[in-house]
Amino acid sequence: MPANRLIAKEEVATYASVLFDAANDRGGLDAVLDVRTQMEAVMAATRSDMDLARALSDPDATDEQRYEVAKGTFAACEPELGEVLAVMAQRSDMAFLPRVFEAYSGLMAEKLDTIVLDVTTVVPLDDELRRIIQEKTKADLGRNVVLHEHIDKSILGGIIMSTGEKRIDASIISQLNHARNVLKETSDGGEC
Amino acid sequence: MKARANKAAKVGSAALVCLAAFPTLAFASSGEEEAAGGLSVIMPNLLEYVPMLVAFIILWIILAKFGWPMFNGMLEKRENTIREALKKSEEAQIESERTLAEYQKQLADAKAQAAALISEARETGDAVKAGITEKAHTEAADMIEKAKVTIEAEKKQTIAELQASIADTAVDVAARLIGEDLTEGEHRKIIERYVKEAGSFNAS
Repeated sequence: MPANRLIAKEEVATYASVLFDAANDRGGLDAVLDVRTQMEAVMAATRSDMDLARALSDPDATDEQRYEVAKGTFAACEPELGEVLAVMAQRSDMAFLPRVFEAYSGLMAEKLDTIVLDVTTVVPLDDELRRIIQEKTKADLGRNVVLHEHIDKSILGGIIMSTGEKRIDASIISQLNHARNVLKETSDGGEC
Repeated sequence: MKARANKAAKVGSAALVCLAAFPTLAFASSGEEEAAGGLSVIMPNLLEYVPMLVAFIILWIILAKFGWPMFNGMLEKRENTIREALKKSEEAQIESERTLAEYQKQLADAKAQAAALISEARETGDAVKAGITEKAHTEAADMIEKAKVTIEAEKKQTIAELQASIADTAVDVAARLIGEDLTEGEHRKIIERYVKEAGSFNAS
């Protein structure tokens, strides 16, 4: 098993490296970011669509059949991403995709000195807010920051910032939940 | 007994001697029939008297020789039997008195033992009664204590549920108010304040 884990780690590193180098060679940071964004979408799709996940990992299908399925499914993606995903499906390595994504983000930080900060808010950010957030994040992490913005009304207000490894939840919903827990747990011994 | 027998024998012998010495008395009854005929009528005929006397003496000797010892033996045997019976009776009486005394002693012991048992049983009963009473008191106290604890726990549970319900309601109302009332500008101000007040990524 340790040998298998080592082999899997090497395979993940190889996929991430090939993908990063191809995207970076093609279009620099913008292409790298586009690939990363598309990779996130692919992960979300394979998590939510079981038929797609089963088709990409079908053990009854031949390697070539899985390759063709992946190639056709991800034809709209960036070419290097589509090719890497097809190879992963061919080799039944689609389960490695989240780890490839992490390794890819690590290569971005290492080679481009840039990290992607996922920002979730209720309303779209304006430039002033983007500047404030980027300055704070750069001051904390010491790297260039690219904001990946999401709108989510369910957080009610505030902001959630995440780099993948680190996360700051300053949303109103989390503060309300915290207040709810405090109110529930606070007791004066049962005396009214 | 034996003395009485000897005495009777002696009286019998004297009577026989008298009868032999005065045969007129022996035939007095028969002489009465001939009293009207003279003295000879009342006197015995020696020809009859002598053989009768001899026969009597022989009979007496035979009886004295054979009959009397047998009779005396029977008397002695009877005497011995009576004596043995009396002796056995006395022994039986002594034995019965001894048995009676023993029974009385056993009865007294049994009474004492019964009294001791009753006393012991009474003491044991009192102890058991006291134990049961104490146990009942203890169990009652435990039940009361448990009931108090249960009531207290249920009270706390009810208060906690009420508190949670109030908290949920308050938070839900607050969330609805925030979601409905805040403008985009207010949201951005909140975001800006939260970003500035938020902790560092290095600290999280």
